[in-house]
Amino acid sequence: MRKIILLTCLLSSMVFASLNVDTTYSTMGTVTKKIGGDLVNVTVLGSPKYDPHFIVPKPSLLAKLHRADLLIMNGGGLELGWLPPLIRSANNAKIQNGAKGFLDMSHFVHMIDVPSSVSRGFGDVHAQGNPHYSTDPYVIPVMAKAIEAKLAELDPENSLVYKENLDKFLTEWSSYLKTFDAKMAMCKDKNVVQYHELFNYFLKRYEYKSFGNIEPLPGISPSSKHTIELINTMKKNSVKIILQDVYHEKKTAKFIADKTGAKVSVIPHDEKAVKDADTLKNFYNTIADRICQ
Amino acid sequence: MKKYIYLSLLTFSSLIADTELDEIKQQLKAQQTATQQLETKLYNLEQKSTNTSASFSQNAYLPDMALILNMSALSRDVKNSEYENFAIPGFIDAGNGHLPFNKNRGFNLNYAEFAIHAVVDPYFEAFANFHLHPDEFEIGEAYVQTTSLPYSLRVRAGKFKSHFGRINSQHQHSWNFDSQPIIYKSLFGPDAISDPGIQLQWVAPTDTYIMAGVEALQGTNGRSFGDTESNNLYVGYVKSSIDIGEDLSVLGGVSLAHGENTTNNPTDVYGVDLTLREQLGSYSSLVWQSEYLYRNKELISTTDKQAGLYSELVYQYNNNYSGGVRYDLITKNDTDLSAYSGIDSDNLDRYTAMVEYKPFPMSRLRLSYTYDRTKIIAGERTDINEVMLSLNIAAGAHGAHNY
Repeated sequence: MRKIILLTCLLSSMVFASLNVDTTYSTMGTVTKKIGGDLVNVTVLGSPKYDPHFIVPKPSLLAKLHRADLLIMNGGGLELGWLPPLIRSANNAKIQNGAKGFLDMSHFVHMIDVPSSVSRGFGDVHAQGNPHYSTDPYVIPVMAKAIEAKLAELDPENSLVYKENLDKFLTEWSSYLKTFDAKMAMCKDKNVVQYHELFNYFLKRYEYKSFGNIEPLPGISPSSKHTIELINTMKKNSVKIILQDVYHEKKTAKFIADKTGAKVSVIPHDEKAVKDADTLKNFYNTIADRICQ
Repeated sequence: MKKYIYLSLLTFSSLIADTELDEIKQQLKAQQTATQQLETKLYNLEQKSTNTSASFSQNAYLPDMALILNMSALSRDVKNSEYENFAIPGFIDAGNGHLPFNKNRGFNLNYAEFAIHAVVDPYFEAFANFHLHPDEFEIGEAYVQTTSLPYSLRVRAGKFKSHFGRINSQHQHSWNFDSQPIIYKSLFGPDAISDPGIQLQWVAPTDTYIMAGVEALQGTNGRSFGDTESNNLYVGYVKSSIDIGEDLSVLGGVSLAHGENTTNNPTDVYGVDLTLREQLGSYSSLVWQSEYLYRNKELISTTDKQAGLYSELVYQYNNNYSGGVRYDLITKNDTDLSAYSGIDSDNLDRYTAMVEYKPFPMSRLRLSYTYDRTKIIAGERTDINEVMLSLNIAAGAHGAHNY
């Protein structure tokens, strides 16, 4: 009998989740679930299998944005190509830029690679800095704190629950980071190249050195001239690791690998971007497993 | 003996004390110098960080501005002087057609468009497109739109492109083909339904996207409406979209435009549109888009009943290349065709094929071939072949396009 009551309580609390939260990408969505628990209903808008810059603004996303009490976005220009027209047409005053239900996570993160000057002549450069901070596991506590503060602001009645969830999560995460750092300390080969500057935060954290990108400029497809230059650079510096993302073509990386003897590692850029990265910890574990040589 | 030991210890300790004292003195001096240096540095920094910005500068509030350029090189098997007097039987009489884009064999500069977007305040956003043709300035669109109305509502006011149908609200530079679908050109002309007026849109609070909108417009479009003694055009539509699996999305809509034409009689235009999009990868997709329009135009003693459709299939291969085909057809043409007696005016249709190359999302080269069987040139039904290379660029802060 007790079990049944408990179960119904649990179920009803799930049904009556008090806040609808939309996040643009998967990692932020999962952190939100960790803090919000059963009190939030999380919807991830952008599929992790696609380029986060070019999520298709499907009209079904309008229905999701329309029902949201809170929109958590990555920021730093990553959603510039798809989110603004959706926000404009979702007819939801709560999630407009500047409203209480709008949270730009990049405002809490120390952005790196901020260009001193910006021109489209340099390709698709993000003026606010590199927006791909989710690959750094140390950003997770920053996200968690910002999300906890926002949830408590929107739903003060349950603020104690959010605080409790946050404390629990932070403790768990800091012990995870210790084992993770220990694992990363074992990695010997620190020279890499990448397709797009997707992994700079991770590389900086664990003292990797990136010797270049497969794309000649951000957002520009590889050219043969640039590829040959990259091959020469890799040979000169004996770079043996090519970091490939899940959504770009893999032909160029394979070609470079053939010429240099390097290994192509497909690295997830977001939680659930590859099969192994099914949870938050497994997202970083997968990065570590595939980068560490 | 003891004495000696004490004495030597004493001297020793005093010696130590002396060296310690010197050391401390030196350290203090070094620290003083360091502090002085820091103070100078701080002072200099403070001098530098003094806010010397212009007292009334508003640069941070500059709106998003973009320049959109559209041009083409074109070859056609009809002389320019004859082509500009084209007719589409039952819809456009010779000399009445307006050809703002890609009119000439040779080179065309279609437009330089200046597009502006700005957040006005916490309640409004403003948009404007200044359309500059070689010898004409036009306010393509200029409107304000609410951002924070309750009850899922949004109001737009000003001059804007109606959300009737699918392609009507989109700008020429965002179409999949350079030319306007024949049925739109025939019923509304190149600007389609674009008027001063007011629009109200509502999004249903459902899991499935459903949007309903109504518009009251001036109705200046003389081809279907045009009785401008007062505002005469009312447009209504419902649009909905579902996803089938993660990668297939379907968007459909029904639209109605009810207005008064230049003979002071009612015109009703009905529209149905359907778009299917299968996402094959981040940069690859297959899009099938179709629209059917039906017009019931009452004249003084008769009623014109005319209809047509277009259907287009576009395959995006990767972020650089795409290709597509489109078919245009007039399906119904019940109107007075006595001016075209002796001329075959049945089976009006058009075939278009294109390949597109985008070196970067902001620039696009498009090569297209058109086989046009809808036109009367110099009193004769003429099948027209056209090959065109067009270039479109969007430079500056140009916002993302809708789905």
